[in-house]
Amino acid sequence: MRWLRFAIGLLLALTLHSLLDSFYPNALAFFNPYIILVIYYSMGGNIVGAIFAGVAAGFVQDAFSNAMFGLHAFSLTFCAYIVASINARLMLRGTLAFGACLGGAVIVNELVIYILVNILVKQRIEMFEQALLVKTIFTLLFGMLVYQLLTLFLREEPIEATRRPAAW
Amino acid sequence: MAVPTDVIPRRPTLLFIVVLALLFLLMSVSSQTRYLGETRTMFERTVMTIFSPVPKLVHWVGGALQDMYHGYIDMRGAINENLELRRKVASLTTDNLKLRQSEGDLRRLRSLLAYSEQFTMSTSMAQTIMLDTAGRFKSIIIDRGSSGGVEVNDVIANANGLIGRVVLTTKDLAKVQLVTDNNCSVGSLVERTRRQGVVRGNGSTNLQMGDIPSLADVQPGDKVLTAGIDGVYPRGIPIGLVTKAEPGQSLFKTITVKPSVDFGAIEEVIVIHTRKVPPGIVRYAP
Repeated sequence: MRWLRFAIGLLLALTLHSLLDSFYPNALAFFNPYIILVIYYSMGGNIVGAIFAGVAAGFVQDAFSNAMFGLHAFSLTFCAYIVASINARLMLRGTLAFGACLGGAVIVNELVIYILVNILVKQRIEMFEQALLVKTIFTLLFGMLVYQLLTLFLREEPIEATRRPAAW
Repeated sequence: MAVPTDVIPRRPTLLFIVVLALLFLLMSVSSQTRYLGETRTMFERTVMTIFSPVPKLVHWVGGALQDMYHGYIDMRGAINENLELRRKVASLTTDNLKLRQSEGDLRRLRSLLAYSEQFTMSTSMAQTIMLDTAGRFKSIIIDRGSSGGVEVNDVIANANGLIGRVVLTTKDLAKVQLVTDNNCSVGSLVERTRRQGVVRGNGSTNLQMGDIPSLADVQPGDKVLTAGIDGVYPRGIPIGLVTKAEPGQSLFKTITVKPSVDFGAIEEVIVIHTRKVPPGIVRYAP
């Protein structure tokens, strides 16, 4: 059931991606719908599930952009793992906690992409700081709005934790 | 007796490390092969094929809603006529490209060098359904794929000029790398002086033209065309206009070219099915 909800979320993210690409081509520079989905899923604290969620969402994002295939999968998996690990211990709940996780994840995500692009294709990303700031703000605002809507209207909390004794 | 699943120790950290290692490997392979026009992107193609109904559906629904809006609010007949005229313009542009190449360059070269070549490129029309022109990797996705005869390295243009080349195809869709992408290079020439160079994308809205010696005659306002020397882009397609030509710090000029295509407003495009250079030659090219 959790995976079904994630799959529906992934289709919605791709729909949003397609919609914005078709009608407002510059909008996707401002926010990233896939990371909202992955962080929302990772807030449940299921680390293994979060890793696979990051890979799946990243692959879809990679397939419909011209990035190296695997770039966004790598960065999203990295963020998902960190957020899920934190939530497996602290059980963070609420819009502000979600916003904090999402904001941090967007920054980490962009930094990971910046480093990988530098290492693998030896390119410098122009206006990185400005793009990072804008993307963080808009993704945060949009993500918190989605979270509020899910909480208020669907009485939906982040996908429930199914934590197991983790061996570190 | 089976062990209850909730007490089975799991190793998410190990899994995490393995997954990241595999993804890094995948990226390394992808970064080395994707711009060579090779076909080692089976996995990418598979993911794109599985999810391709979503953008197609969105495009279809969006198009249908737009049609309804324009049809009932504006004069539907005028819009249809407008669409028909756009197709005609695109078709005439194709003819113009063929004529310009065959009657311009070929006549001159044939008379001077007794060089004979037949212009045999076929073309088809396609529509863009996704535009990613603002991100750091510039690409668009068009609604024709391998079933429509589109192949990797086919050239994409519109009425204004060169847009890019196909880097990936599925059955119904194709991904196009724009000339403004960081990884795109196009063999080009200045129309006025026939000086050849290489136009490269730099991730911004403008292009850089390189490999032009400092003493070469290039001035702002000069028109830049494809040179047909890179094995991908046919000769004679407009790329843009020179906006700045300054002596660089080394032996070459620093030339900025403004693309003739508005990449934020691409709708219908022409797919030019170019003659492919055999992979063996590409692989061993310097």
